[in-house]
Amino acid sequence: MSLTLASNPPLRLHWHWAWLTPLVLFMAVMAGTSIGETSIPMDTIFKVLANQLWGAGYAVDRIDAGIIWNYRLSRAILAGCCGAGLALAGVVLQALLRNPLADPFLMGISAGASTGAVAVTIAGLGAGAVTLSLGAFAGAGLAFALVVLLAHAAGSGTGGGRGTQAAGAIILAGIAGSQLFNALTAFIIARSASAEQARGIMFWLMGNLSGVRWDDVRLGLPAAFAGLLVCLWHRRALDAFTFGADSAASLGIPVRRVRGMLIASMALVTAVMVSMVGAIGFVGLVIPHAMRFIVGSRHTRLVPASALAGAVFLIGADIISRIIVPGQVLPIGVVTALVGAPAFAVILIRGSRVR
Amino acid sequence: MMKYSRPLLAFLALFPTSFAVANSTEYPLEITNCGMEIRFESAPDSTVTAGQSATETLYALGLSDRVSGTSVWFNPVLPEFSEVDANIERLAENDPSFESVVNKRPELVAAQYEWHVGPTGSVASRDQFHELGIATYIMPADCDTKDNTTGGDGTRIDAFSPEHVYKGITELAAIFDVQEAGEALVADLAAREASAIAQAEALELPQDLSAVFWFSSPDQSADPYVAGRLGAPGYMMDALGIDNVIQSDEEWPNVGWESIARADPDIIVVAHMDRRRFPADDIENKLAFLHNDPVAREMSAVREGRIIEMDAHAMSATLRTIFGLEALSESLSTLSFAP
Repeated sequence: MSLTLASNPPLRLHWHWAWLTPLVLFMAVMAGTSIGETSIPMDTIFKVLANQLWGAGYAVDRIDAGIIWNYRLSRAILAGCCGAGLALAGVVLQALLRNPLADPFLMGISAGASTGAVAVTIAGLGAGAVTLSLGAFAGAGLAFALVVLLAHAAGSGTGGGRGTQAAGAIILAGIAGSQLFNALTAFIIARSASAEQARGIMFWLMGNLSGVRWDDVRLGLPAAFAGLLVCLWHRRALDAFTFGADSAASLGIPVRRVRGMLIASMALVTAVMVSMVGAIGFVGLVIPHAMRFIVGSRHTRLVPASALAGAVFLIGADIISRIIVPGQVLPIGVVTALVGAPAFAVILIRGSRVR
Repeated sequence: MMKYSRPLLAFLALFPTSFAVANSTEYPLEITNCGMEIRFESAPDSTVTAGQSATETLYALGLSDRVSGTSVWFNPVLPEFSEVDANIERLAENDPSFESVVNKRPELVAAQYEWHVGPTGSVASRDQFHELGIATYIMPADCDTKDNTTGGDGTRIDAFSPEHVYKGITELAAIFDVQEAGEALVADLAAREASAIAQAEALELPQDLSAVFWFSSPDQSADPYVAGRLGAPGYMMDALGIDNVIQSDEEWPNVGWESIARADPDIIVVAHMDRRRFPADDIENKLAFLHNDPVAREMSAVREGRIIEMDAHAMSATLRTIFGLEALSESLSTLSFAP
């Protein structure tokens, strides 16, 4: 691999910049609340927020009020949660597996979620009692369990360098699991879908924040914070894993337990996000690399920086997806890939030049 | 087109332009169908259909004995045809395979949509059938004013009108040499169309009425699929003097509730369907969303109870469009538009 995880010299960014974090997040959420499909004047937006937050009692149109508070604000906050969660999952997996291409969907989670969603919506599994989100979550969990079992079976072979071997086994098992579940999805669609139905599913698979309401925030916000706390709690272990599982073991870290716990918790965070908004690519892959370039590889800084950048990136991508084509909302996965792929290319080139 | 002239035109449509009595088809018959020259040496003895509208049009022309297989069903067959349909093999509920169609040795494949039989048809291209000596016919409602290469379900380049349905009926009647049945069917549908329009005009509805047609949504509260301005629902609204709040040329564009709520339509027409792929396919879920969503429930149509239910298949560009027009006209008479 030409891109290593630890060698880029970070820009000199001091801790006293940290106070900017809440400000940047606040600005991003405000932008997400004020920019949308239709234009609503800024003063209306402030009045609605004032009414909701401290009962200011301004007279505003009820539809405007509902759009701002129930559609846009909840959507911006959940976009932030998803961005943070996916970026953190990327940080953890890249560190644990020592693979720069690791991303949250490596573990077959997005493929499994697709299969679950398609099984519910197209094949009619659960006969209407199971929602699309629940189906996606169950599918993601199932795929993850299968990948872990497969990795475990493959990684318990003989040979030296157990830690390195296990990381390789997880990646290969993830690829196999993803292929299997993608094939299952294609099978279900081919067997029972007409073009109109498949279209709705494809839209969802590229990520879709249009159905987000406060109920989703109540699930997404705790999930993102739990993910952040788990990562911060294990920041030293993550540093150690960057140098390999064997080095981590020599530092007295219970490798199997910590690695298993970290992977499972990130899989859970990813599955929760995917079940609500679909599979949004590139956030988990690109953000950790970009942040490593800016703040360095120490997880004390990398974890909070990635969470913040992921949140702001996804809120921004969601805004672009709503305004780039007038009168139409693009799947957000299209926007993240369009922005993320060139950004990733720049990071790759600059990363190799630095050395 | 000026609005008052519609009933007149519909009335004129009762009479064939030549005022000739229905005559028999002279073979070979050559027709340009969806940009392709097709030629018939005689009336086809056996036909396979891909698309419910093609199937039901043939049934309505009394040609069920010439249909040897059907496919691509969206809804139960129209009740008046349930008996004849029961005796005809369904090759597939959805897309049939090329070989299953060919295996029936049809002389004609009649399709409702180009996405099944067309340039990139999921069943086959038209040429693939023509190479085997099997003729193809696509319902003109899907191609005369529609570009099927863009947009999720195609994009209208010009407004749909029942004329395109009538053209399909007339051409199929000519192909099968049952022109009398074709003229009778067109006359019946055109009369129903004219009477639905006249009935709505008698209501003297407010001038600036607006509406949205909600088909379904990919998830319960996600951005819905609504009718564009040029498809069958666009025609219905136009014919009855109602503005569509959706200005897209796409057949079923995906539009956010934010845009719809801000446009605040006077009437919401919700699709009733048997399909159960998305939660919002169920009309109860649609109504529950409209009454509970914090934004949707504030729309005038919801607050004033101006929600109309309509059969989903009537919203597609088929002969059932006329039934949809009748249902809409009928429902309008039950609504109150007092300010």
